[in-house]
Amino acid sequence: MTHRRTAAIALGGLSLAATLAGCAPTPAESAGGSTGADAATGGSTASEPYADGDYTATGEYQTPGGTESIEVEVTLAGDAIDTVTVTGNATDSTAQRYQGEFIDGIAAEVEGVDIDELAVDKVAGSSLTSDGFNAAIEQIKADALA
Amino acid sequence: MHRIATGAGGRFEFPDDAPALFALYRDLYDCTAGAVSPLVGRALEQWGYDSAYSLRAASVIDPVPRWDDAIAWDGSALETVGPVVVDVGAAGKGYLVDLVGGVLADAGIHSFTIDASGDIVHRGGRALRVALEDPRDARKAIGVATLGDGALCASATTRRAWPGAHHMIDAITGLPTDAVIATWAAAPTGLVADGLATALFFADPAGLADRFDFEWVRMLRSGEVQSSAGFDGEVFA
Repeated sequence: MTHRRTAAIALGGLSLAATLAGCAPTPAESAGGSTGADAATGGSTASEPYADGDYTATGEYQTPGGTESIEVEVTLAGDAIDTVTVTGNATDSTAQRYQGEFIDGIAAEVEGVDIDELAVDKVAGSSLTSDGFNAAIEQIKADALA
Repeated sequence: MHRIATGAGGRFEFPDDAPALFALYRDLYDCTAGAVSPLVGRALEQWGYDSAYSLRAASVIDPVPRWDDAIAWDGSALETVGPVVVDVGAAGKGYLVDLVGGVLADAGIHSFTIDASGDIVHRGGRALRVALEDPRDARKAIGVATLGDGALCASATTRRAWPGAHHMIDAITGLPTDAVIATWAAAPTGLVADGLATALFFADPAGLADRFDFEWVRMLRSGEVQSSAGFDGEVFA
């Protein structure tokens, strides 16, 4: 089974990158992960414009279920990325899930909204603390001031 | 529980409602590589979360024993090799809510909401809109969930906390966990939703989704909020 995502925008690639960092057993390995065929970067320097065309690279990473890989196709035009296609080649079912449907919503630094302003029936937060717990916390505060 | 914690090892028979709880715990233990464990009880006490709420950490915190080294659950009885503090706090209250719901159902009541502070089970009637309380400020919400027939359980490290520690102990490290600060899990039962709300502090959600049918939201220490594809509700971005 193959998950194929054609990302018209950079976000698709970003969320996949987050996916790989999340499931690789050791982030350090994944960060240094130039393990795949590295077609696009050979010999270029920063000042040199990149030739237009399609570039493909495969990145491999180790999972508890064995070696998995993803394939990234980039089309360059005028020194800019025109399209990016990321294809997960996962064979293991766990890796398939990681590659295909890991975190589907990510919202950076969410700002809370006043509950009073929301029309809701209930509030789900962590359990309220017991009187005994609260009394103990107050005691610690008092001790800290003494 | 007291005899298990203080006496020598042995075989302890449990009542009929225990098997579901222990079975879930074993699943969570396996899914989180041992981070969620009923054996954190001793460490939790040593961090200060004891029956007297001393809320002061001991100078030495014992490592949490591995499940297979310390206990065996055979479906109706717990066998131990020595004194262990069994803590079912990760899923026990959600399970209790299920049991209360069962009492209502037995009495012919099929449309109800049980809100046990952190654990909500809703059956029948229209779906509820439930605010997801901001762990950093209880007056605010970071999103709203729609709860039809099922359970929604929440957990956070910010409220049940005291100087230097909180109640969410990673059984692998023996330390209070810190990468995730709040979780919400929606599942068919309170037992499973409560247990998964705990597991979301320690495990990749995708791995949990291999084993359990559930939806989730969680907030990282950075303030970033993640949610599952099928989460029924909204997160305020």
